[in-house]
Formats: sequence, structure tokens, C-alpha cells
Amino acid sequence: MAWQLLRRCLIFLISTAVASFLIFWIIDSDCGPARSALGIGGTEESVQALCTQMGLKRPLIVQYWEWITHAATGDFGVSYISRRAIGPQIFDQLSVTLWLVLGAIVVALVVALPLGMASALRHGKVSGNILAAISQIGIAIPAFVAALLLVLVFAVRLRWLPANGYVVPASDPAEFLRHMILPWLSLGLVQGAVLARYVRSAVLDELGQDYLRTARAKGLTPLQALRRHGLRNASIPVLTVIGVQLVTVLVGAVIIERIFTIPGIGKGLADAAQGQDLLTVQGMVLTLVVAALMISFLVDVLYNVIDPRLRQGAGR
Amino acid sequence: MSAPATRTPPKPKRRPLSPLVIFGLVVVLFIVLMALVSFFWTPFTPIYTDLKNRSVGPFTGGHWLGTDRTGRDIATRLMLGARTTLYVGIVAVGIAAIIGTPLGILAGMVRPGASEFIMRTNDILLAFPALLIALILAAKYGGSITTAMIAIGVASIPGFIRVIRSGTLQVMSTDYVKAARVAGRRGPAIAVRHVLPNVAGLVIVQASSAYAIAILAEAALSFLGLGAPPSVSSWGRMLYEGQSTMTTDPLVSVWPGVAIALAVLGFNLLGDGLRDRYDPRMAGSR
Amino acid sequence: MKSSGLAALAASLCAALVVAGCSAGSTTAETSSAAATSAGNTSGSSSAAATTTAGSAASSAGSASETATVSGNAPAGDGALTVGFVLEPTSLDFTQVDGAQAPQALLLNVYEGLVKQDDTGKIVPLLAKSWDVSADGTVYTFTLNEGVKFSNGDAFNAEAAVFSIDRVKSTWLPSVKAGMDVVKTAEAVSDTELKVTLSAPSNSWLYAMTTRIGAMFSPTGVDDLANAPVGTGPYVFKSRVPGDNIVLERNADYWGSAAPVKTITLRYFQDANAMNNALLTGGINIISTLQTPEAISQFSDPKYQTIQGSTNGEVLLTLNNQTGPTADPKVRQAISYALDRKAILDVAWSGYGSLIGTQEAPTDPWFFDEDAYPFDPEKAKALLAETANPTPTIRLTLPPVPYATAAAPLIISQLADVGITVTDSSVDFPTWLDQVFKQADYDMTIINHVEPRDAAALFGNPDYYPRYNNPKVQELFKSADAGTPEQQISDMQAALKLIAEDAASVWLWSFPNLIIADANITGIPQNAIGESFNFSTLAVG
Repeated sequence: MAWQLLRRCLIFLISTAVASFLIFWIIDSDCGPARSALGIGGTEESVQALCTQMGLKRPLIVQYWEWITHAATGDFGVSYISRRAIGPQIFDQLSVTLWLVLGAIVVALVVALPLGMASALRHGKVSGNILAAISQIGIAIPAFVAALLLVLVFAVRLRWLPANGYVVPASDPAEFLRHMILPWLSLGLVQGAVLARYVRSAVLDELGQDYLRTARAKGLTPLQALRRHGLRNASIPVLTVIGVQLVTVLVGAVIIERIFTIPGIGKGLADAAQGQDLLTVQGMVLTLVVAALMISFLVDVLYNVIDPRLRQGAGR
Repeated sequence: MSAPATRTPPKPKRRPLSPLVIFGLVVVLFIVLMALVSFFWTPFTPIYTDLKNRSVGPFTGGHWLGTDRTGRDIATRLMLGARTTLYVGIVAVGIAAIIGTPLGILAGMVRPGASEFIMRTNDILLAFPALLIALILAAKYGGSITTAMIAIGVASIPGFIRVIRSGTLQVMSTDYVKAARVAGRRGPAIAVRHVLPNVAGLVIVQASSAYAIAILAEAALSFLGLGAPPSVSSWGRMLYEGQSTMTTDPLVSVWPGVAIALAVLGFNLLGDGLRDRYDPRMAGSR
Repeated sequence: MKSSGLAALAASLCAALVVAGCSAGSTTAETSSAAATSAGNTSGSSSAAATTTAGSAASSAGSASETATVSGNAPAGDGALTVGFVLEPTSLDFTQVDGAQAPQALLLNVYEGLVKQDDTGKIVPLLAKSWDVSADGTVYTFTLNEGVKFSNGDAFNAEAAVFSIDRVKSTWLPSVKAGMDVVKTAEAVSDTELKVTLSAPSNSWLYAMTTRIGAMFSPTGVDDLANAPVGTGPYVFKSRVPGDNIVLERNADYWGSAAPVKTITLRYFQDANAMNNALLTGGINIISTLQTPEAISQFSDPKYQTIQGSTNGEVLLTLNNQTGPTADPKVRQAISYALDRKAILDVAWSGYGSLIGTQEAPTDPWFFDEDAYPFDPEKAKALLAETANPTPTIRLTLPPVPYATAAAPLIISQLADVGITVTDSSVDFPTWLDQVFKQADYDMTIINHVEPRDAAALFGNPDYYPRYNNPKVQELFKSADAGTPEQQISDMQAALKLIAEDAASVWLWSFPNLIIADANITGIPQNAIGESFNFSTLAVG
């Protein structure tokens, strides 16, 4: 167990190192900071001169080391476009996005668990097929279409909820909730539909297992049998999917945050990308990717905790 | 198929296609047809703006689905949008299949250590979803259809590697492959003669699912202004442009929204059906 | 790479993330205001943990809670308003970043100049009580107001004015500071008397002093302009959440009459539709400029008021006068004849705005209403027939702005009617700046020129992206700048007529000032004349 944990940890660290270098290398801002500092009027020679002076002509690996060691302390430098420190901005925006993501995952689970289990338990019946069809349709609706429709109906037409905006939870919790309901639903409902499919097939797999057949032969209903014996096993594939979905939701927040004007990291990233603010993009992408790697690391660890069978062996 | 029939495992029993799969097939064929026809004929010429009939509803002034606020025919734009959607999907899924399939087979055939290496690299790639790659490329090179296709394609690679690897592992454990090894057949020959034909079905299944995801991703990117430019008709773009009149003229946004949802549904259903056919064991998982 | 180093690195990364997650999660308002106000944080060495300790105002980042006080019966002078804008300033430091957004938010509100424009475009005193101009037009002597203080407590005096003017010349971004080039020296005669000597007489200099380059800075308040602007204006900068809002608060020690509304929140929406929805659902009180005139009908409710005036913006179908098919004046004239600009305005901007025939805004003192090229496709075809290629193919490069994408389809189809094939491509804004604006690698493009009185900059400089080179026009612009006010007007009109005759571009329409606001708000200026959106006149009635 300890060796497994250590191994996972090592994989996480190496992955992070590789991923961060990839990010730095691909987004390499070149002479961007120098070019931007001189504005449209800057000549190519003056840009090159300033570029050298700013240390942007040094070997990439040297620049990378400087960047990553600073980034490790939360210092992502100062954006050459907005001239603000990037680190504090990322942390502010990340906290906003975390609220969004957590709420969305809760919505997704609330939708997916009953829907998926019900459609599995009614497998073969008309009602089960209808439930499965509902989740198929849910998957096919893009989150931003759902968001636009929800805003149209609940904000613009019915005036029940605000159309967009963000309120800091500490300043006014009630308003915070009111502002977050539509974003949570837009992101969560669609993810819930995706998740429901996995819950359904995981439960179906378990129901097909011999021990559950035996339990049912003893007179238990499928639901009771599942509750007593199968849920733990069925939760493993679902857990993996939740891990993957957390990443999807984290990135899917880009669009939802844009539609609902929520100042999270997704909107920050889209803004920075559109403004070609490469340093900020670097910092934000690193944050998101490390978050994604950390999620899969945690899922791996949880795996080991839930399923003793997996404690030996290389993995999936 | 190049391998002798006696050496291949028995095919799973062919079941009749379910109505859902047929529905998916019909939807996909319809979209392909729409895109193909648009090369020769559209209800109106793509640049035509009908000044007398702006923002009109269906069946007005010869416009089956009405017009947008600049007087462009919605049906025409939907057909052109189908073209963009299919084009982006083909290139993106093509990138993923061409890179992902050989890597997946490789990961299934090499020593466990090397396989582990490929899969760990794959996990790193998994941390870069399409939207993230698209944003990176957009920041560096500006958003365009090309960057969108590359982003979606690269992000779809891990899915291929995973599925093809597990398919390959299955094939590798069969007796006839073991026999071929004993007979002194070398890796590349086994890969081409035994593994590839047997995972080909999986490639098609995965391609269909990846296609559905690619359509969603393209629409999302175009909606963010990182995909199709205004001069190219795309469903996501139409949705974005229709947004401003969403409260007064919601139909303009509803059509492309329905088109996207139908296309995704079609490819997903088709993928599910094919999966049941080619690999009942993997039904329901990606 | 050693794995121990990597381990340490990743471990500290994890730790940083966790720390940030905890601290930021509970105190977002503090961290953001700290980042915005404390100067030390931009040095690049700050960590998330450090910023939280510097936090001060907890209410700064909230926006919805403040709007609630508007609908309630707040005592006069204590209200709050939220104003929606489209484009966010990339940086608040407009001395280092071009773009109209930072001056729009800060000028006349946080920063003030010696002079300003009144509602009719006349130049009137602001920080300067009065001024004299020498007979040869090169020496300006300003008498400054007394008792004016910067928001950091420093007194505003002639020294500060000299500092501000010199600073433009020495440290501002090259592309922004051109208006100050004509200044030879600025000196403080006494605390309240400032003497500025120009190298040549210039009508446009005093006008330029009403724009951002005329903003007065405190010698001790320029360390961190991007995060902590310091000015003499009726409002002081309170906080900023990048990507979302800027909060301004009434300056308690303002030297003039205090602004009626206490707190102004500027909220930024990249998405025009989101801004419309925000007004409909009470998230904001004013739409500063309606980006979707086609959706104006949803504000027909008497709860809202619509203000329609003019801006300094001219939407141009800019033509490349130097290369490509459009280098031929006959092709340019044919394009001008081929376009039904009334129809384009109707389609693209729902008919809001006015048609103009040359590079002028309706509020310019030299405005004259004349259309050299009424819609006439037959004439266009005839002109094209006289050229080398009667059916040219012309590129149209579109920036990502709503009016351009809305106007393009009709322009393409109208040009097709006279035999011109248009290949259109859309580019993002940085690409547009580089390709079109900097390298002039284009045939046609569509862009709204928002800068006030920009005719000389656009068409008097052959290196500017229209690449229009007419020595006669350049001469007229020069004499207009140096001459008497009367001569200025007549010379400007002569130059503008020449530009129109040459069809140097197609002037599609004059951009309207379309403001939608809650009906109970007063003091919204009808015309957007200068660079700024002045909040100090707003009041809740």
C-alpha cells in the first residue's frame, strides 16, 4: 500500500514536470513581452534589443527552470499585457471556478445516480429505455445551449433568477446562491446525463455478476441486492468517470463563465487567449493541467482504498 | 481480411440492428447528404441577403426555415454548416485515429514497462482537453478552424490509445496469436495480420464516439469565437450570432441548436450500436 | 533532472495550490482588492498567502448587493449605479497601453486635465481656471485652480502639471504620446501659473489636452498606475476584479461639486447579449453602448429609457490606397457607388446612426453634410468598365467586431451585383492589428474609428494604414492646425472634401451613441464627445 502510494506520487510528480515543460515550450512567449512593451510603434531592432535585455533569448530550459521554480511559490510573473501580477489573479479566479465546479458536480451526481440506477434496474422495460433515452438526449445538448435556454426562460422571461454576474459568497451568501443556480444547472445537468450512462452500465455489469444473481435468487429485489453487495464495486468505474468529468467541467467552465460573466479561471483563460497574453495563458494552463493531474492522482489513490484487489498489479 | 479464416476468433453473433441505431444511422446519413448536396445546390446562394425578408419565420418569402436578421437564408446556412461540421470532424477524428491506433496497438504488444510508459504519457495528454489545447493554440496563433481541428484531434488521441490497447491485449491473449508467436512470427507481422483486422471494428466504434465529441467541441469553440470565422457557416457560429435576438426571435438560435444536438445524438447512437455489435463486453464504456 | 528536485517542486506546487485554495476560497474580496491596491504585489514576488494579509475592504468586489440599494429609496447622494461596458481595459495604466477602454473608465472620473470639452464640444476650463495664448499661438499661460488635491493627499500645482506634461514626453508609449510632441517646454512660473511653449502654433494641441495625454498626475502617485491610479477627479479608484468589474467611489475631498452618486461599478461583458440580459434582470442600471441594436425592442418597457446621440466614431470600409485593385481611384469610386449605405446601416445597425460622406463626426465643428457618391450601381459598372479589370477580385479582412460581421454579408452581395468578387476572411484582433494596421497587407477592411478628430491622423499621414497620399490634403491639414479657428474650419472642410472625392475609403455610417438605462437615471450625456464616460453627472431621480 505504502509503496503503491509512493509510486503514484512519483508518477504524479513526473507527469507534472513533463506537462509543465510541454506547456512552457508550446506557449513560449518568444519576444512577446518586449514587443508588447514597445507597442505598435516599436521597430523590429528595438524589440530584439529589449528581448535580449529581458533575458528572453536565453536557452529555453533556463527560462523554464526560472519560471517553474517561481510558479511553485505561486509567482507566475507580471503580465506584459495587463501589467498585473498573474499569481494572485489566478488564485482569485480559481476559487471562483471551484465554487462553480463543485456545485456542478453535485448537480450532476444528484441527476446521475437516480437516473442511471433506475434505468439499469428497469433494464429491458419500456420505462428503463425511456430513462436511457433521456440521458442520451441530455448528452447531445451542449452545455452552452442549455445555458442560453435556462437564461432565456428563468431569467429573461420569468425573472426568477439573475441572468448573470457573480457575488462573493462571503459578502452575501443568499445572492451568491441565487447567481449560481443557473450556472450550476447548465453545467451539471449535461454532465449528469453523461454520468448517468456510466452509472447505468456499471450497475448493469454488477447485476450480471454471479453473486448478485445468487442474492436475488434468495429473494432480494435487485435494488436490495445491489445495496447490500454491489454498490461498492459499481462505484469504481463511476469514480473514474467523475474524475474525468471534473476535468471536463473545469474546462467546460470556460463557456459557462463567459455566458454568465463569472470571473473564474475559465473566463480569465479565454480573455487571456484572445488578448494573446501568453504569460497569463501559461500560468493558467499550468494551473488547470496540474489540477487535472492531481484529480487523476487522487482518483488513483481512492481506487486503492476502495478496491483491495487493485493494490497489486500495474493498474487498469 | 488477410489472416486465414481458421485462425481468427469466431465473430460475435450478428444481432439485428436496434431501432435506436437505425435512427442514428439515418440522422448521420441525412447530415452527410445535406453537406454533399450543398456543394451543388442550396435553397439560396450563400452570399444572398434578402433585404425584404429579414428575421422572418419559416416558409416566408421562399425561406423554408426563415432568415436571420441580415436576411440570410437559415436553411442554406444550416446546409453549409453541416459541411463545416463534417469537415472538422473528419480531420479531427482522422488525426486521432491515425496517431492513436498504432500507438494503442503498440501499447498492447510491447513489454509491460514500455506499455506503462505509453499509458502514462497518455494520462498526461488526458489532462489537456480539447478546449484547453484550442485556447493554447488560439493564444499563440489566433483562433481558426485549423487550430480547432488540431486541438480536437489531439485531445481525442488518448481515447483511441486506451480502447485500442485493451482490444489489442485481448487479441494478444488469444491462442492463435500465441501460436503465431511460437511459429516465429515477428511483432510487426502479428500487428498487421492479426491485431489490426481484429481491432478495426473498435476503431470505427471509437471514431463514431469521437465524432460526436468533435461536433460538440467545434460548436463550443465557434461559440467562443475560436473556431469558424464569421465568413464560414458553422452551427456554433450561427448559435452565437443568433444569441442577440434570442429574446425576440429565438428560432434563429433554435435551428442550429437542434442541428448540433441531433448530430451528436446520431453519432452517439451509431457508436453505441456498433459497439454492441463489435464488442459486447465493452458496451457502455468509452 | 534530479527527481528529488522535482519532488520538492511538485510538493511545493501542491502546497501552494492548497494554500491558495483555502485562503482564496474564504476571502476573495480581500485578495482581489489587495492585489488591486497594494503596490508591492506587482513586483512579482508576492505569494497568495501574502496578499490575503494586506486585504482591506470586504465589500469591494460585490456588485449585485450594491445595485440593490438603487431600487430601494436611498437617501440622495448615497446611491450606487452599475454601468455595463463591452471591452475591458487590458490595463488601467493608459500611459503604457493603447486602447480606448482605460480612458473611458478613468478620464474625467479619476483623472482630470487642465481643460475639458463641454457637451457641445467646446473647450472649457477644468483644473485651469483660465488661459492666455500669445499672439503667435505658441505660448500658453494657464492659471490653475487653487486648493485642488490628488486622492493621495498631494496638492495639485504647476509643478505637478509640468511633471505630467514632461512625463508624457519621456515615458509614455510611443503610439499614444504623439499629441504632446509639439510641446517645447513646460515651466511652473508660480504655484498656480503654468507656461507651456510650443515649437509651432497648433490648434490640435489644446484639444489633445482634453484627451488622456492631458491627464494630471501626482509626482508621488505614478508608481503603480495599473493597480492604483491617483488623480484629482470626482471619483477615486476603489477596486478591480479583472474580467469582471471596476469600482469607483466618490472622492470625499473633491475640489469641485461632489458627484451625486456615491458608488459606480463598471461591469464588463464580452458578450453583448449577456449585458442586455443583465439590464433586463436588474444586474446593471445602464448599458453604456448598445451592441445589438436589433434587440432594442426588448427595452420598449417604460421602465427603461433610450438615449440616442452621436459619437466620434466613423465606421469605415477602409480601402488600401497604395496596393491591390483598390489602388486605382476608379475602383474605389466604383465601390463607393455600388454600396447602398442606407440599406447597410439598416441591416447592420438597425438604422441607428447617421450617414456621412467623409471622415467627420456630426459634433465636429467643421461638420458638413454632403454625399459625393449616392447609391448608383450603373455608374459603378461604368467606372469598372474603364479599368483594366472590370471584374476584380478584392479581399475583405474582417476584425471580430459585431458591426463588421453584420455589415459584411450585404457589402459582399452588393459588390457582387456590380461584378466585384469579394473574398472575405475573419481574423482576430491581434492579427488584424499586425496584418492590416501595421503592415497594410489588405484590400478592404471594416472598422469603427473611435478617436475624436482623427481625419489628419488617418488621411494626412501616408504611412497610416489607408496609405492615402495626397500632398494637397496634407498641406491643408497643416495649415488648419496652425491657423486661426476660422481658417481651421475652412481648411478642414476643404481637405475632407478632397478625401471624399478621391474615395479614399467608404464612410459607411457615423456610429450612434445608443444608451439604454433605467428610466429614473438622469444626467446621461446624449453625445459621446470625448474619450471618457463621465459618471459625475449621473443621478438617480
